[in-house]
Amino acid sequence: MNKILPFFLLLILLTGFSSEENQFIARQGHVSFFSYASMENIEAQNNQVLSILDLRNKKIAVSMLMRAFVFKKDLMYEHFNESYIESDIYPKATFEGNILDFESSLEKQTKIVRGNLTIHGNTKEIDIKTTIEKINGTYLLSGEYNVFVKDFDIKIPPILSSNIAKMITIKFRFQYQSYEE
Amino acid sequence: MKKKNTFFYIIIVVLLLVNGYYYVLPYFKNANKNLELVASEASINSNDLIDSYILSEEKTDKLYSGKIIEVTGFVKEVTFLNNRNTVILYSQNKTSGIICDIHPSQIEKVKNLKEHQKIIVKGICKGFLKDVVLLNCYIDLKLNE
Repeated sequence: MNKILPFFLLLILLTGFSSEENQFIARQGHVSFFSYASMENIEAQNNQVLSILDLRNKKIAVSMLMRAFVFKKDLMYEHFNESYIESDIYPKATFEGNILDFESSLEKQTKIVRGNLTIHGNTKEIDIKTTIEKINGTYLLSGEYNVFVKDFDIKIPPILSSNIAKMITIKFRFQYQSYEE
Repeated sequence: MKKKNTFFYIIIVVLLLVNGYYYVLPYFKNANKNLELVASEASINSNDLIDSYILSEEKTDKLYSGKIIEVTGFVKEVTFLNNRNTVILYSQNKTSGIICDIHPSQIEKVKNLKEHQKIIVKGICKGFLKDVVLLNCYIDLKLNE
């Protein structure tokens, strides 16, 4: 029994260490979106996006507060949160996905991340082309993706339809640190 | 008849002013406002705020989300990631903190902040992910003076 106990302790310790190395967190991830329309371009930035990267299971999770998007003008912020996204009812947007064919040995690779994006309470399965860079033992994930406003049941009154593009470009950049529990 | 016309014009002018105040003015108003001279709606310390969010996110959101609040806490980290000036306040809860996105007018104060320094941050509460998010923050250093 005395001989088995240290072995078990070592096993638990090793398991603990390996999970630490494989999990990364970004608390200040950057997500921006851009709407190009004839009337005006609308751009917003969110610099407090949370993301957790689990390389053992090749999974990624992202969560962001819709009210943390910063616009150039107050009115854009109000319209976005009150009329379109309805942030009081749906305060967060989330994404959970799997990195397809991830190779841990490569310093830089572009892979598809397949998962479910939830905005405005509507979930859609999407594939996002993502650049994954390994920098000093941690990771940087970046890329962009186009979403159609209608896919997420976001209603734009006909009178304002010329102000907002039907397709919105979302850009992201997550700089991870090792996960400290 | 003249009186009627004057009354009509006054109504039109009032309507235009009201419309301008509520619809046109916000359009030109910059969203990145300085909260230095704006009164806060609540005052709380970082531990209580995080504990409250962990206990019930929905209830705490109703109390603080979208409001200007003053939070007292200790500096865990200062970062300049994504070209933003960010101060993170720590709490008793190891995994959660308060992410304060600092207004550009406060840059000198941010540069001089030290780890574990006690400060008051006034900002707009946006909600909770793993950390509480405060935007447009103004730093009050009076505590240490």
